[in-house]
Amino acid sequence: MKKRVIAAMLAGIMVLSVTACGNSSNTPAAAGTETPAAAPTESAEEGGDAEAAEQPAAQPAGPVELTVTTTFAGEDTNAQNYKDAVKAWEEQTGNTVVDTSATSDETFKMRVATDFETGSEPDVLFFFNGADANSFIEADKVLSIDEIRTEYPEYATNMNEDLIPGSLVDGKKYAIPVNGYWEAMFVNTEILEAAGVAMPGENYTMDMFNADCEKIKAAGYTPIAAALGNIPHYWWEFAIFNNQSPDTHLEIPASVEDTNGQAWVSGMNDIKELYELGYFPDNTLSATDDETFAMFTDGKAAFLIDGSWKVGGIVGSCQSDPEDPSTLDADKLAKFDVTYVPGKGSRKATDLVGGLSSGYYITRKAWDDPDKRAAAVNFVEYMTSDDVVPAFAQHAASALKNAPEVDPAEFNELQRKSIEMMAGVTSLTGAVQDLFQGDCRVSTFDGMPEIVTGRVDAVDAVAEGLDAYHNQ
Amino acid sequence: MGANIYRNKKPVLVFLVPAFLFMILFLYYPFFKNIMNSFMHIKQLGSSAASFNTPWYSNYVEIIHDENVWTSIKNTLIMMVVTLIGQVGIAIILALMVDNIRRGKQFFKTVFFFPIVISATALGLLFNLLFLYDKGMVNQLLEALGKSQLTDWKAEGIALFTMMLPVMWQYVGFYFVILITGLNNISDELYEAARIDGASTLQSVRYISLPLLHNVICTCSVLAVTGALKVFDLPWTMFPKGMPLKSTFLTGTYMYYHTMETKNVDYGCALAVLIVVLGIVLSKVVNTIFREKDY
Repeated sequence: MKKRVIAAMLAGIMVLSVTACGNSSNTPAAAGTETPAAAPTESAEEGGDAEAAEQPAAQPAGPVELTVTTTFAGEDTNAQNYKDAVKAWEEQTGNTVVDTSATSDETFKMRVATDFETGSEPDVLFFFNGADANSFIEADKVLSIDEIRTEYPEYATNMNEDLIPGSLVDGKKYAIPVNGYWEAMFVNTEILEAAGVAMPGENYTMDMFNADCEKIKAAGYTPIAAALGNIPHYWWEFAIFNNQSPDTHLEIPASVEDTNGQAWVSGMNDIKELYELGYFPDNTLSATDDETFAMFTDGKAAFLIDGSWKVGGIVGSCQSDPEDPSTLDADKLAKFDVTYVPGKGSRKATDLVGGLSSGYYITRKAWDDPDKRAAAVNFVEYMTSDDVVPAFAQHAASALKNAPEVDPAEFNELQRKSIEMMAGVTSLTGAVQDLFQGDCRVSTFDGMPEIVTGRVDAVDAVAEGLDAYHNQ
Repeated sequence: MGANIYRNKKPVLVFLVPAFLFMILFLYYPFFKNIMNSFMHIKQLGSSAASFNTPWYSNYVEIIHDENVWTSIKNTLIMMVVTLIGQVGIAIILALMVDNIRRGKQFFKTVFFFPIVISATALGLLFNLLFLYDKGMVNQLLEALGKSQLTDWKAEGIALFTMMLPVMWQYVGFYFVILITGLNNISDELYEAARIDGASTLQSVRYISLPLLHNVICTCSVLAVTGALKVFDLPWTMFPKGMPLKSTFLTGTYMYYHTMETKNVDYGCALAVLIVVLGIVLSKVVNTIFREKDY
């Protein structure tokens, strides 16, 4: 009998331990946030508690633990700025941030989407405001700025409303942007000098670019640093843009036969032509983006089309300690420059891709938690304040109403060159790939090696992608 | 009373039921759900199925017409052969050699087993650096030996070799340890008798070690072949998305690619079903070929 009891107890312990494992994911948050005197949030939302509604800025009873996911990680220029800002906010408020930031790529986007689907989304999210955000906006998992303002009227009032992009789902504004971005062409001037090529300027065309690439190749260097088998995104964007105009670039073709569809096909064929001319690295189909970027910074490849976030990566490559700006080799950095992407047809070189494509979201999960609501709002207000935003925006644009004057002395040489380059920009258009999300991309992004090697016809690849897009 | 508890099986059931429920909940239910999902249209990972595909078996039709599926199956079969010959074969040779040395057995056991304790992802990153096109260790060595052109170890023709080499290397030590334990179980008296009869070392290996290791080798072979079906992390770290030109996909990496990268979740489910079917069939074949003998 005694043995039966022991056996039953052991079995019970096994069952309990399994149950405990199942519950463990909810435990820390609940333990960290549970307070007996929760604010009367629901009644305030319903308009039934006037007192609660009049005190929107009420602070939670105790320290709060916020889960925050951003793209400020890895080689992102603002990774360190973000860490510093979070630390300052934690010291100021006594709250803590569980940071789940990661480098922005397709896996990260998938992770965020899955987190929302499974109910494990963060409290605050810094994420894209294009088609990537559609799924969680459609599911009503984040709050619009207007909805937050019903309780916190001052929320994001320091931002220029016209510069905050609306959602593709309903046109409402959800994400408060911090820093804008631009995409342009970085240049290793040392290679240009060695090959006898002049620094490209505002009237740079694809014909001039091809001629320069030929000289660079003849001098024994790789003209273009790009991993077509890994990150063809920038060339994809500009190759298509070069066959359109700023007015039509954001129109997704209805079919491969229409004008825009043909422009997309021409763009793919332009990349194929550059590949066949041997302007990409020998291992462009098997290399990672990191490898081709290293070729650029190591003085083996001349041109790199990338985004404003890459400024930090280039500067980091010129520091003996990438974490310590005081170790910057200024002479090495001076060899890098940034200019416009060669133009073609209706697109001038100075018509670049850029904008405010990301911002801070507050999730409904945090909003509905009486302890986290105020902390989440406070966190976003802090991160988007007039004091913090300039540190993130640096040489790129921001949506601040009162953007402070930029003092060039505070920047390194490449940042100053970026500011000078941006001064000559004639138009900034959003990236069409931000609207073209999901498996529709596969045939022309992951399929780029097949297109440039001629195994798949550009027409078929574009048609397949457009079919997938229109069937979503 | 004492012997009675062995006749009463009820306490055993009490222990078995929780484990059974656990398996139902976390293995069999997801598996059957996965089969269902392979017929449904799922917009993205985590979201529930919206409706049945049109036709409901369309993913399976696509599998038949998808060239990458056949590439991944072919690569997986190659991987099985490579693991069988490369892992078990090399492990047998190493085990026989180490078994024949007098000193340093423990040292070699540790050295050969060590790669097992390193995570496959870390090994993938390590071999990425070794095979790096520019400044990679292998290319630097070749350059020092007078080779003028850099070799792209991840180019289409050679990528499979570059991928399978570290996979093979990683698990040699695992089978080596199993085999050397098997060799230790062979009585020294047999070797002594053979020596008295004038048998050479090679003859002892041929007529004593290998026959008595037969069952251990069979076990290792079954483990190696079925393990090859599950290889994922190292190939994905070194060759994400089947790079280059989708030539390095294995069944596992291709399934992951569709589920996590292209957001084609229901097709990923269909591929998962294919992997299970493939696994069952191949396990059956391997178990038949490498059937253990009763002595």
